[in-house]
Amino acid sequence: MTGTEFALRTDGVGKRYRKGWALRDCTLALPAGGVIALVGPNGAGKTTLLRLVVGLLAPSTGTVEVLGHDVTASTPQTLSRVGFLAQDHPLYKRFTVAEMLRFGRACNLRFDQGLAERRLAKLGIPLDRRAGTLSGGQQAQVALALALAKRPDLLVLDEPVASLDPLARHEFLQVLMGAVAEGGVTVLFSSHVVHELERVCDHLVVLNHGRVTLTGDIDTLLAEHRLLVGPRTATDLDRAGAVVEAVHSDRHTTLLVRDGAIPAAPGWQARPVALEDLVLAYLRRPSEPSAAVTSGVAA
Amino acid sequence: MTWLIWRQHRTEVCVLGLLVGTFGIALLVLGTQAHDLFPGGPARCAGEAGSNEACAASFRRLDEEYGYVENLLAGFYLVPVVIGAFLGAPLLARELEDGTWQLAWTQAVPRMRWLAAKLAALAGVTVALTGMFTAVVTWFRQPFDAWEGRFQYDAFDLEGLVPVAYALFAFGVATAAGAILRRSLPAFGVAFGAFLAVRMPVALLARPAYATPLTTMEPIPVGGSKDQAGHGPVPSNASWMIEHGYADATGRRLSWTEYYELEAAANRAGTNLNQFLHARGIQQFNVYHPADRFWTFQLIEAALFLAVAAVLIGVVVWRVRRRMI
Repeated sequence: MTGTEFALRTDGVGKRYRKGWALRDCTLALPAGGVIALVGPNGAGKTTLLRLVVGLLAPSTGTVEVLGHDVTASTPQTLSRVGFLAQDHPLYKRFTVAEMLRFGRACNLRFDQGLAERRLAKLGIPLDRRAGTLSGGQQAQVALALALAKRPDLLVLDEPVASLDPLARHEFLQVLMGAVAEGGVTVLFSSHVVHELERVCDHLVVLNHGRVTLTGDIDTLLAEHRLLVGPRTATDLDRAGAVVEAVHSDRHTTLLVRDGAIPAAPGWQARPVALEDLVLAYLRRPSEPSAAVTSGVAA
Repeated sequence: MTWLIWRQHRTEVCVLGLLVGTFGIALLVLGTQAHDLFPGGPARCAGEAGSNEACAASFRRLDEEYGYVENLLAGFYLVPVVIGAFLGAPLLARELEDGTWQLAWTQAVPRMRWLAAKLAALAGVTVALTGMFTAVVTWFRQPFDAWEGRFQYDAFDLEGLVPVAYALFAFGVATAAGAILRRSLPAFGVAFGAFLAVRMPVALLARPAYATPLTTMEPIPVGGSKDQAGHGPVPSNASWMIEHGYADATGRRLSWTEYYELEAAANRAGTNLNQFLHARGIQQFNVYHPADRFWTFQLIEAALFLAVAAVLIGVVVWRVRRRMI
């Protein structure tokens, strides 16, 4: 497809705004092909990371390499390989849909007008309507059609479904996944909603307080992690440093372990962990090494 | 890009075009009538107004019939600012307001090329509209200028090169303010305010100092009337008088208090004021810029505003280049 192994590589990337660091020490290597989910709570630095990836921002530290090219050296060729759908899918509100397509054609090298028109016709979105008068779901679809008609190798979407109702959300994801199935586009999208991801994504990046706390192939991550349930114990069980989280209820202690050997004590059971629980466990971890105790939420 | 820029900014361009067109046509119609008062041309008539009664009558009619337009025109010094700010404010601010900068700069047009095209096109429209408007106003004012000179504030600020420089200054302020404030309307306000704040000090303090003014110093004529003594001989009708007054025999300038004391002394002595002053060697002086400095001053003031505009555009380019937006 592209000949490059990685869709995205970042090395020690940080971004500092006037009010402080939004992103620190972000080192990632994400493979081309498939769907990558960037997960984190609001304010975790997801939008900052995605804007760095598409070259809207320049990193304060480190380097960002997309499809083998430094993004800050943006040329028409490198720009045309990356599609971006910003949060709240901005469009020129006073343009008609047809004018939005003309905008795409005027500003891109390999814009596939026919593809965009077919997609919009299938969704029943009229070309002569002003973009601002369309429903939120339709605006998102127009923005997606524009981004896909660029025929990008990497499509980056910032919270694409956050503002959509469940029906529009379903429709949007259907179109997106259809496009992924059709051709070799790598999709990187951010979300603060964790469920539904398992069905859709191949790769996961968890971001919290501006730092990457977990990254990897979803199947591998699920295979690596296990829940261990045993009698309640207050002793420090994290001898190997493999315990991600320990949760104590009245009678039981539940440990989430990575690459974990089962504690020697008898009476412990191992269970697979669901993706959502895995992500939440990592999000609950303290953001800084200096931060206080882990919150022991009762299960 | 051409289509995109036109599609995005056609409303502003059309509204401003209509505005300039309407005022322009009105001025052309009125100006043609005013010019018709001077069959030999207003400049020649102004030279002969002292001896030629027809010319003097023409200037009187000009003042009576079209003086109100001249007064209205004084308010038009805001037109360049409106044009520049109206085109500059939304250039970046509207994209930032609507979030569409993320759309615009992730297409295959690199942001610097996008910015260069936008700046060139909209600055070009600013220059074209202001230039056309200024050309019409300059032509309309020819008969007035022939009589009053071109250094008056309602002439100098509306004619020649400076209106275009004002417009580009406002364009630069509005664009830079839009990039920083991320809102069109406040950016427009900032440009408007900046122009009003800068214009007065420049016109009143900086402009007279663009060159060293000339000074005339001559004794008071014995036979002169009081009226002449009061106003002093103006070097030329079209010159720009900076200061005039009286000096003693050594050339030391008298304060107005000292002059009024002399005047009171003349009254007490019951002598003719001019004879009284002449007898004491009092001289009158004029500090002024001659009329032929008009274009030099226009160039200097235009360069001043253009330099500021260039710096502001530089700030915008730098911010966009450094991806600080």
